[in-house]
Amino acid sequence: MRRLAWLSVALALVIAYPLMFSTPFQQRLGALVLLYAIAASAWNIVGGYAGQVSVGHVVFFGCGAYAAMGAYAHFALSPMIGIPAGILFSVLIAAVVGVPTLRLSGHYFSMATIAVAELARLIVTNTDYLGAAVGLSGPTVPRNVLDLSFISALPYYYLFLAVLIITLGITWWMTNSRIGFYLRAIKDSERAARSLGAPASRTKLYAYMLSAGLTSVAGALYAMMFGFVDPESGLGILISVKMLIMAALGGAGLLFGPLVGAAILVPLEEISNSLLGGKGAGLTFVLYGAIIVLIARFQPGGILALIKRRLERRGKAGETIVAAGASHAP
Amino acid sequence: MKFKHIVGLLCAASVSVAFAGGALAEDKVVKIGAVFPLSGNAASAGNHAKAALEVAIDIINNAHPELGNFPLAKNVGLAGLGGAKVEVVFADNQGSPATGQNQALRLITEEKVVALTGAYQSGITLTASAIAEKYGIPFLTGESVAANLTERGFKWFFRTTPIATDFVKVYFDFLTDMKAAGVKTDNVALVHDNTEYGTSVANTITTGFKEKGQPIALDVAYPSNATDVQSQVLQLKEKKPDVAIMISYTSDAILFAKTFQAQDYKPPILLADDAGYSDPSFIKSVGKISQGAFNRSAWSVGPPGSPTAIIAKMYKEKSGDEMDDTAGREMQGFFVLVDAIDRAGSTDPAKIQAALKATDLKPEQLMMGYKGVKFDDKGQNTLASAVIIQLQDGENYVAVWPKANAEKAPVLPYKGW
Amino acid sequence: MSFVLVQVIVGGLLLGAVYALFSSGLTLVWGMMNVVNFAHGDFVMLGMYVAYLVYTLLGAGPLVGAPIAMLVLATLGVVVYFGLIRDIMKGPMLAQILGTFGLALLLRYSVFWWFGANFLTLPENLVGGTLELFGIRVQASRLLAGIVALMVTLGLHLLLTRTSLGSKMLAVAEDSTAAQLMGIRPDSMQAVAWAIAAGATGLAGALIATFFYIVPTVGETLAIVAFVTVSLGGFGSVPGALVAGLLIGVIESLSGYLIGAIYQDIVVYSLFLGFLWFRPQGLMGKS
Repeated sequence: MRRLAWLSVALALVIAYPLMFSTPFQQRLGALVLLYAIAASAWNIVGGYAGQVSVGHVVFFGCGAYAAMGAYAHFALSPMIGIPAGILFSVLIAAVVGVPTLRLSGHYFSMATIAVAELARLIVTNTDYLGAAVGLSGPTVPRNVLDLSFISALPYYYLFLAVLIITLGITWWMTNSRIGFYLRAIKDSERAARSLGAPASRTKLYAYMLSAGLTSVAGALYAMMFGFVDPESGLGILISVKMLIMAALGGAGLLFGPLVGAAILVPLEEISNSLLGGKGAGLTFVLYGAIIVLIARFQPGGILALIKRRLERRGKAGETIVAAGASHAP
Repeated sequence: MKFKHIVGLLCAASVSVAFAGGALAEDKVVKIGAVFPLSGNAASAGNHAKAALEVAIDIINNAHPELGNFPLAKNVGLAGLGGAKVEVVFADNQGSPATGQNQALRLITEEKVVALTGAYQSGITLTASAIAEKYGIPFLTGESVAANLTERGFKWFFRTTPIATDFVKVYFDFLTDMKAAGVKTDNVALVHDNTEYGTSVANTITTGFKEKGQPIALDVAYPSNATDVQSQVLQLKEKKPDVAIMISYTSDAILFAKTFQAQDYKPPILLADDAGYSDPSFIKSVGKISQGAFNRSAWSVGPPGSPTAIIAKMYKEKSGDEMDDTAGREMQGFFVLVDAIDRAGSTDPAKIQAALKATDLKPEQLMMGYKGVKFDDKGQNTLASAVIIQLQDGENYVAVWPKANAEKAPVLPYKGW
Repeated sequence: MSFVLVQVIVGGLLLGAVYALFSSGLTLVWGMMNVVNFAHGDFVMLGMYVAYLVYTLLGAGPLVGAPIAMLVLATLGVVVYFGLIRDIMKGPMLAQILGTFGLALLLRYSVFWWFGANFLTLPENLVGGTLELFGIRVQASRLLAGIVALMVTLGLHLLLTRTSLGSKMLAVAEDSTAAQLMGIRPDSMQAVAWAIAAGATGLAGALIATFFYIVPTVGETLAIVAFVTVSLGGFGSVPGALVAGLLIGVIESLSGYLIGAIYQDIVVYSLFLGFLWFRPQGLMGKS
């Protein structure tokens, strides 16, 4: 019950944020946090819950972004078509790549995902139809509301919030379903899970495909907001890393971990850039890097796990702490 | 835990400072935003741009009688706005189109800049100017050359720099003149990276040369930020083109120069397309083994005591490096922008836009060697042009073509080292 | 075989040896300590800057620069180990990626803040220009790096397999509790392993600086190559990194020459991916 109360308050705050912090930049910052939270939450499904650390998730992000911009650039359609089209492509890629790749263990898996993403980036860079290195642009002047090209960040904010709620809803449904049950077993010990009859390969593949589809939605939304995608911004490895570190910093394997991570890292990056970037001495990144190092060093399990422990310690004085969700926080 | 408190305080402090918004020094300051890569791979170019703009601000805000009739130099501040001073708010685009757009938005809505300039990488200029267009703020780029930037039907976007189609003409005419002087120029090879800069310029040159009846003989594309270019140099060595047109950023330009020496390869004519070859780092590192390299530029230091020479000196003091073409073009773009604000006599964006459209600067009023500045209805400067310069001693570029602008005669063949 | 092709292959081997050189440190920590070091490229970068400083301040070449870079980086390695690595090692792979990514930014932009963004180089003739061996042109600096790569590989391999220090390090890597019971202190061994790896990386950087450009962001370019080399060779296998490096260098050079440079990385990644799919433990890794 208390949990529901906390959640309702949090939701109300999130809904009210752009009305309380209403300058265009603050609203855009909020929209960005939500956008990256969608991507990080999608990653969380396979990286956090399934324990398969993909460092090449940007390939799915790029699917969505390129599908959105391609729909406009080549077919003069609304970039929104990019959402279902991107989901289709990314799930397909996940299925094809997932079968041989998910067999690989730990670090080899991660490296293979990097290779897939880099391959995608290199192929797109050399493919004129996809804009090659120049990239693809969206509508410069919106033709109608379906082009999703707004001046204000407010519509983006609420659109992204809706998608985030859906993404987290799907994640929550998954964790409480049979797939979620198998994933927890696999994450603890894949060998044991297999010996007990869990269909490990299929489960991991489904999680991977689900994660891929949701990540591509984030990519499509990104492309619509910025109106542009090129190989570096749509398929670059930095985006994979960002998704990953947001989930890790907030708490991988926790439902709201990626959101917490995004809520910390996105404003940190944008604000430190706004304050220090103009000086040109790279201080933005010294600060950003230092804070990440500190968090990793002192809270390797993520900020959310820390908060949960604190809340539980305060709420159950004298009892042994059993943090239900936190047992799966790495 | 102590650490958590530190981080929390840090975040809270940053948030509160940032959200306090831009506190404006109200008395007569005109704020202009500048979005450049101040970190990341292109940081060298971005920081040179920053230095160039800072020199420009000094010239505008202070009396500089030694610059004679150079626009905006004589007075303190902007005469058209009662002596108001100009302030540039710099923002780092971090090499990302998204960050560039976010920062442009911040400059417009929080810092309340009246105009924007930047952003070096064409993809970032694209996104940053898109948000400026949405807010009705003039955006002038002095250096981004992608063709699509002026093909968007924008009303608030202006560009002073010559673009690839202009360079095609310059290169072709230069090579034609060399041919007339008895130099063999039949086989032209293009060496370019596969970034948006490299591919778009290469494509424009390929199309342009083909139309003029001399198709490109060899196209050597390579991935930017390469670790090794030996294979590409060997290809050139095998095919023996008469002319090698190099389209590279600084890192690859340096690598090519070193590999040319390692493989003992000297193209008879080496023609560089600005970018990496103009970077002072290039000249410092490998200038001595690239003697005779041609380059295109609209910048020339000029005789001692001339405005351009004085500006070059001021720039050297500010940045520690010699003025290069790209920094010069950025500075020129900035001067054009501020000149328009001055003529508008107002910080109202619409009036600035009108003043920009009415721009008609003559060559004597420019620091760059353009034929003038006059924008067409797409926002492109139709009088932008360039000359061919040559790195004859390995240290300094001198103008060598066309004859009217030449300081020295071109030296052929390419000497290298 | 055409002459040019031989030149291409020789160039590829030299390139690959360099890849192996700056990957050997990474495979050591990745294999032995299971640490994913996203800051590896920036360690190489630091080695390059040390070599640059040695040249500008002392006028000396890699004969002095390389040992100094080794020492500086080894010291930094120890600091980083006790300051960060030891704690994130206990955590999951995610914490390591997070921590080392932050470290990478910190190192990269501290150097950026100090040295600025300009590209720096060491003079071409610092290691004697270009040699011509049997008609094949070889840059002396790259040849030196290649020879050192072989020496480092051999040295590390011997260290791990023939010395007591090495067997202690391997014991800790295999089972730190059991090692502790045998009187070995895991902390010290891991710090030593990390310092050796960092030192090797510093050495690599100092040598690469003799023929490559030096800029704060160069680590980004090199890191991904190191990652591919190490995983292809098998995490933890120093000889594997050498073979993998040479292979990647030759494939890159050949495909660049025969198909086109813009496709060379596509070939490398495709082969890499295909290889992993069929041999999930790399060339010489433990299965």
